[in-house]
Formats: sequence, C-alpha cells, structure tokens
Amino acid sequence: MSISSPQAGGNRRQSSKAVAGGKPGTGASARSGASTKAGAAKTGTAKTGAAGKTDAPAETGTPAKAAAAKSGAKSGATPAGTGPKARTASGGRPGTRTGGSGSRPGGGNRPPIAPVKVNNGRHWGPIILFTIVGLVAAGIVGFGVYEVQRNNRGWQDKADSIKGIVDYRKTEKSLLQPAQHAYGKINYPQSPPVGGVHNPNWERCQGDVYPDQIPNENAVHALEHGSVWITYNPSLPKDQVDKLASKVRGNDFMLMSPYPGLDKPISLQAWGFQLKLDDASDPRIDQFIRDLRVNASMEPQATCGQDSGNYVTKTGPDPTNLGQSAAPTPSGM
Amino acid sequence: MFSGIFATPQRRAITIGALVAVFALLIGYGAGWLTPSLRAPGDNSPEAGFARDMSTHHAQAVTMAMTAYPKATDPEVRQLAYDIALTQQGQIGIMQTWLKDWHLEPTGSRPKMAWMPDGAQELSPDGLMPGMATDAQLQQLDAAKGKQVDILFCQLMLRHHLGGIHMIDELLPLSHNKEVRDLAQTMKNNQQGEVVQFQNLLSQLGAQPLNS
Repeated sequence: MSISSPQAGGNRRQSSKAVAGGKPGTGASARSGASTKAGAAKTGTAKTGAAGKTDAPAETGTPAKAAAAKSGAKSGATPAGTGPKARTASGGRPGTRTGGSGSRPGGGNRPPIAPVKVNNGRHWGPIILFTIVGLVAAGIVGFGVYEVQRNNRGWQDKADSIKGIVDYRKTEKSLLQPAQHAYGKINYPQSPPVGGVHNPNWERCQGDVYPDQIPNENAVHALEHGSVWITYNPSLPKDQVDKLASKVRGNDFMLMSPYPGLDKPISLQAWGFQLKLDDASDPRIDQFIRDLRVNASMEPQATCGQDSGNYVTKTGPDPTNLGQSAAPTPSGM
Repeated sequence: MFSGIFATPQRRAITIGALVAVFALLIGYGAGWLTPSLRAPGDNSPEAGFARDMSTHHAQAVTMAMTAYPKATDPEVRQLAYDIALTQQGQIGIMQTWLKDWHLEPTGSRPKMAWMPDGAQELSPDGLMPGMATDAQLQQLDAAKGKQVDILFCQLMLRHHLGGIHMIDELLPLSHNKEVRDLAQTMKNNQQGEVVQFQNLLSQLGAQPLNS
C-alpha cells in the first residue's frame, strides 16, 4: 500500500497532535491519522484521545476499555479503509465500505501493533441511558416550544376569547381598509362607534378623563391611533366612574368619557372591538385593555398627544374641526 | 435494505453515531429556538415595566415639546424642544419593539411602577409618574404665549427629566439586560445634560425652576 500523504514519514507527534486536538473530522487529522499506520492510528487514537499520551505505542496492547474501544472503532475505521486516499477521508464515511479492521496497511516507521480487541457486543447500559436522557431532553424542549407557541397567540385571538366581546373586524371588512378623514357630523353604525371615517383631529388620549361627552368623530380618530376608549352611561354611580377613571388617568393610549344614551352602564371601545358591561369591577375590563391597548392601532406608533395647533380636548357632541375654520358642515356620512 | 447499515460493528457504530448526531442537532435546534424566549424579560420584570412606563412618561415629554416647539421664542428652547420630541419618540419605538421581541403586550397586568420597590408610592394622587405634568399644567402650556411658553416649557421639562432620571436610577440596580441598561444609561446621560441646559435657560429667562 502506498502512502500518498505528504506526511508519509508517519510522524508520530503530528498524528497524535491532530487527534489530541479532538477534531477527527478535520482534514489535518484525517491526513495525519492515515499517514501513520492504520493500526497505529486506530489504537493510538483510542489511547491518545483518552490519555493525551503519544509515545507509548506499546500500551496499545492493553485491553481497551469499552469507551475507548468504541471510539477507537469509530475513528479507526476511517484511516483503515481509506489509507491510500487519505485526503478524502476527512468525513470518515467512505471507510465503512471496507469493513475496516481487517486490512492493515503496513509501512511507516514503527513495528506493527497488536490489534485491540474490539468489543462488538451491544452496550445496553449506555444505550438505554442515552435514550432516556435523549427522550427526556426532547420532552422538555418540546414542551417548552409548545408553551411558547401557545403564549404567542396573537392579541386578536386573545381579545376574541374575552366573553361578550364583539369583533367587528370580522364582520365589517371596511374597518380594515384605510379610513378617510371628514369634517362635520358622521353617522356610525355602532353606538358608541368603533371605527370608520373620522375627523382629521384626534381627541387627546393620553390618559384623559373627560368629564363630559366628547365628539364621536374625534374619538374614533383616537381609536385609530390605538387607544382604548371607555364610555359609560351618565347614570353610572360615582364610585364606579372613579374606578374606571383609575384605569385611565396617567396612562397613555387611554381616554374616557360619559356617553349619553348608552344602552349599557359601561362600554369599551378599541378600533373594531366593543365590549359592553354592567359593572366597573368586571375583570374583563383589564383584559380588554391589556389585549387591545396599542395593539389595535391602525397606525403603529401614531401618538395620542397633540401639538399646540391641533390640540383637541374639547368636550361636547359636535366634532372639533381645527383644520377647517368655517363652522362644521354636514358631510353626508 | 437497511440491514446493511448494521452489518459490521463499524457500520453499526457509525449509524448509531449518525442517529445520535441528528437527534442531538434536533434537540439543540429546539433548545436554541426556545432559549431567547426563556431568557427574555418576563411580564412582571423590571425591564418590561420600565419599557411600558417610560413609554408613557416619554409620550408626555413629546406632547409638551411638540406644543412648545412652534410657539417658543428662544431659538435654543425651540432646538431643545425639537430634539426632545424626536429623540424621545424614537426611544418609545425602541422600547415598544423590545416588548414585541419579548412577546409581551404593550400593557402590563400590574399597575404602573409596580416593577420598582415601593413604586405605587411614587405615583401622584392623579396616578401620574414622577415629574409628569398635571392636566392643568398642560392646559397652561397650551394656552401660553410668547416668552411664557419658553419659561413654562423649561420648568415643566426640567422637572419631567428629573422624574425620568429617578425612574432610570431605580431600574439600573434591578436589571442585568445589557440592551435595556445601555439605553437607560444614555437616556439618563442625555437628560442630565439637558437638565443643566434648562437650568441655564431659566436663569437667562429670569425664571426659577418649579418647587416640586
């Protein structure tokens, strides 16, 4: 068998160095491993890999331990089978064709080395252990992946799961289209409105608790920016109003106002969503705010504040038309 | 046809090795995919609380700066207002993106400031965070004219910055998240610098900082 490798001298040191490096897959390792005698590579690998010793080929005759034999079989197969074409051996797989240990390419500078007895029996202990550990690991990882996925349900799914909520985005697709601006009074199909054409100026929604009714047309624009609008029937007892106000004050993307004629004591609005309730201590209020505040924005990162020229905090039923100096004109919508 | 792969000890070893390697890769991939979620700040973490509360805190600064910007008379005040509005709006975007990346909602399940020790006590009776202007003060700024805009803006913004710096000082010992700490620290540095500017501007304008 010719030794085609450049390291034909079979420098022991190089061989063991590469192996000790712990990267049998690299070209250097395969090449130098092959350049020494395959037998030496085989046993030597097992030895040096484990002990890090290099110049003690005699030791290889000692009974190989199970682990050493195993790794020896694995790495030994490669150079043995591919000695003549050492360079291709980096992957180690071609070696499987020859069946390995039988052929011992001679040459090299050292005397032949007695083959190690490889224990061919199945090592059930480690196999079972690794299988169990592997399955447990897979189970943990799989469970984690499942939980994360479940937690990552979209905000819309979470909102839809709130009992009693109406998701108009599902029934009125126009709510998902770009909404136009219009001055003047606008009629809305829902009461209070949840979206649609609206005034160019938005009602400020930086935790504003308005003591009186605010214009639908400006409030809907605040919904478009992602705010949650809490409305209540003016007959709602004061302690309930205070409870609602505590959820609004100082919180960006929140606003609140009484709504004359409201058919329920309380109604919550986000763009496309509505939830009508009887009691200010209903836990669904917090759920609604948590799922929809900011998330329901039709204009991500749009603000609830205003500059001095467009400040809208006025109350009353008629829309504030800052951009239009003339009196409000009916838009026909 | 697959019996060949178990024909010899070597083949068997290679086959088992390959299977183990594939299995290990799958586990590793799953664990790697999972790890960012496990390592990300949780819903009640200081980082999430800070991102949410500082977003609201910043939003009021943006509103005040946008209100002052077109009306202020002093060029330095207008420049500061412009800078604060755009910088803090940009930082809101960063903080909101964190929450998205951490798979958290923009709204927490606990009250404002609950992420810091005794945070609830830091809120004003109106539920405002430290340094925030009241509704009445916002209306005052909105109605102000001429030099009064400059003075009022510097007064309100100076106090706003001090409140923000206080919140940052509460966060820094609580958080080990480098990204969050880095932004918080630069926020603090910038706002401290601007505090000095506001103090100088107020003395130039012949006015005093607010008492509280």
